[in-house]
Amino acid sequence: MNMDLETAGMLRDSASRYAADNYSFLQRHAVLADPAGVSETAWRDYAELGWLALRLPEAHGGLDADPLAVGALMEVVGTRLLMEPILASALIGTGLLRSQGSAAQQDALLPQLADGTLKLAFADAEPAGGTACQVRGGRISGHKIAVLHGDIADRLIVSAADADHGGGKRLFLVDARSVEIETRRYRLVDGRGAANLHFAGVPAERLDPDDGTPAAAAIADVLDHATVACCAEALGVVRALVTTTCEYLKIRKQFGRAIGTNQALQHRAVDMFLLQEEIAALTRAAQDALSLPAAERGRIVSGAKAYVCTAARHVANEAVQMHGGLGITEELDVSHYFRRLMVNAALFGSRDEHFSRFLAATSHAQPEEMHA
Amino acid sequence: MTETLSEARDKAGRLRADIRQFYARVMPEDLKRKSRLHQVLDKDDYVRWMRLLNDQGWAIGHWPKEHGGQGWSLLERFTFEDELARLGCPWVIPFGVKYVGPVIYAFGSEEQKRRFLPRIATTEDFWAQGYSEPGAGSDLAALRTEAIREGDHYVVNGQKVWTTYAQWADWLFCLVKTARGEQAQKSISFLLIDMKSPGVTVKPIPTMDGYVHVNEVWLENVRVPAENLVGAEGEGWTYAKYLLKNERTAGALLGMACHALARLKALAREQPQISPERTAARIGELELRLLALEVASYQAVESMMRGTDHGGEASLIKLRGTELYQDIAEAAIDLLGPAGIAWDAAALHAASAPPLGPEDAGGIVKDHFYNRAATIFGGASEIQRNIVAKGVLGL
Repeated sequence: MNMDLETAGMLRDSASRYAADNYSFLQRHAVLADPAGVSETAWRDYAELGWLALRLPEAHGGLDADPLAVGALMEVVGTRLLMEPILASALIGTGLLRSQGSAAQQDALLPQLADGTLKLAFADAEPAGGTACQVRGGRISGHKIAVLHGDIADRLIVSAADADHGGGKRLFLVDARSVEIETRRYRLVDGRGAANLHFAGVPAERLDPDDGTPAAAAIADVLDHATVACCAEALGVVRALVTTTCEYLKIRKQFGRAIGTNQALQHRAVDMFLLQEEIAALTRAAQDALSLPAAERGRIVSGAKAYVCTAARHVANEAVQMHGGLGITEELDVSHYFRRLMVNAALFGSRDEHFSRFLAATSHAQPEEMHA
Repeated sequence: MTETLSEARDKAGRLRADIRQFYARVMPEDLKRKSRLHQVLDKDDYVRWMRLLNDQGWAIGHWPKEHGGQGWSLLERFTFEDELARLGCPWVIPFGVKYVGPVIYAFGSEEQKRRFLPRIATTEDFWAQGYSEPGAGSDLAALRTEAIREGDHYVVNGQKVWTTYAQWADWLFCLVKTARGEQAQKSISFLLIDMKSPGVTVKPIPTMDGYVHVNEVWLENVRVPAENLVGAEGEGWTYAKYLLKNERTAGALLGMACHALARLKALAREQPQISPERTAARIGELELRLLALEVASYQAVESMMRGTDHGGEASLIKLRGTELYQDIAEAAIDLLGPAGIAWDAAALHAASAPPLGPEDAGGIVKDHFYNRAATIFGGASEIQRNIVAKGVLGL
């Protein structure tokens, strides 16, 4: 445990320092303006700093970091609004490859993930009314939507029915640059990229786990980890918003005094701070809960996501309001934090989905059992 | 008031029916489509829209008959804004017809009335409002833009901010300081500034919805003919308060909330829901708040007409209307799911399909962004609550 805390603390410090020096809000503007929406320079730095090997096994030179350490990095990702696919590639892509790749597949790809030469994106969601993805004769056909960083990924991990082996759901590796993929690239509201994909018979390499873990279980597990990482990122955003709003309340003067001298605003700032503390506590609890069996972790992981999203949205709304007109401008970071939280709230399940999962888990639990 | 309340109700009812007819028969399809997709209208669209309204006699329907209006009652004014917004029509640009026009006919010189009023009615002149400054937002009286009298001109120096559509404006009505050191309310004057004057610079302020609605307006040694002063020097604060009184009847807020809620209900039918019961309950709560807003608004308008109002009614409508509208927009984002976080401003501008979701998904996202400002501009929610605390509760 001490070891974990130490790793997390070191990561937090080094990430904060790096981002303060290399990823200021002004420097980020250049990344936003770039057509790719990511900084290749920063990405190489992340590789050198070891962030991209965070979730790699020690045998592959990784840190095999626990959720606490991952969360420490994700907080900085939130506070500095990093645009690069740490979540999509270094956490989700890496996690899926570790769980579903054969030893040979892992040996081939994990080093590329660690040194940053490979960016992965996970294509899972399908459009209502589209063609469900299916692999037949080693080629994939069908539609995927809302693929986070699917616009810039080198390879995609795609979920699809494996018609060559009984039709069950499996994961496949697909070259994202294949000309047989029709891609609609777009930005999300926070500036990160995404894509809708139409595969028309694209070569697909099946991930073949040596231990036979079913793909559905692996996906659920990795997405639980991603959900908790999202909570940590939201915590970083909320901390930044609370700090910047309190600063503004002290310096903005109207009617001859700082607006923060108004008790009504002081109380609202306190409520923002209280939400921040609850978000921190729930994020921590969810990080711990990830070591529980899948069936038992849902209550806390989904409870955290549902609460954090709503609480963070309230903080963002208040931060915008208290900044007045400045709050909705491009020029100020507040509106960018607001937008990042919008995306986080919708990733890996809506509030409604997580709340439903929480309710289902809670209705079975007796009150005395609920002190996990 | 010569007209009885029941007469006013009848006339407002007829106006509402006329507006529905207008929407069905006169409103051009392209404007309908742009509005339905929540696209940002360009200047030509707005000018065309305002002229369409003027052709019906509605753009200045609230002006007295002697100035070419129809002498609408407060109820007709409110109904007009409410009904247009319910139908999802474009914004009725208020700066000319609603704000500066009445100030000019109430306090302006005969020459100013002749010169400006007809061109306001027809939107030949596009007006902008020069009120807020970097240090004077909620505390408007703290404004610092100076107008120094030099012969038959004022020389104006200062900076205005959050000036909506200044990039299109021909004229700016502007609050300026014409005396130093005196009590703010006695040193502010109301000046009409030609935007083509040397020394006027408009700098856009991009907002998070990806457009430019608001601007900084820099005024550097701008020479303004003294004849462009409205009323008396030092009386600008009185005129600004008069203008604010005209701004009070915000029927559009009610109509916009109503329109957005109808769209939300349709979305709930179109989009698969995780928990239809919870979605229905959420929408039901919003519907209930809309009902409260609707009855409170119309009763408030009638109180104002009877003179039995307590003075906090306009704040109630603004507070409850904007908060409700924001919450409806948030619910719509939630219902859209992944489509609620996709952002393709170019597609929205070109009216091509958004990356995900229904064809108006991009517009719903854009509106959600801009709506965050609804509780900030036109008297922030905090100021509205101060008004009620002081003016109504005597705290």
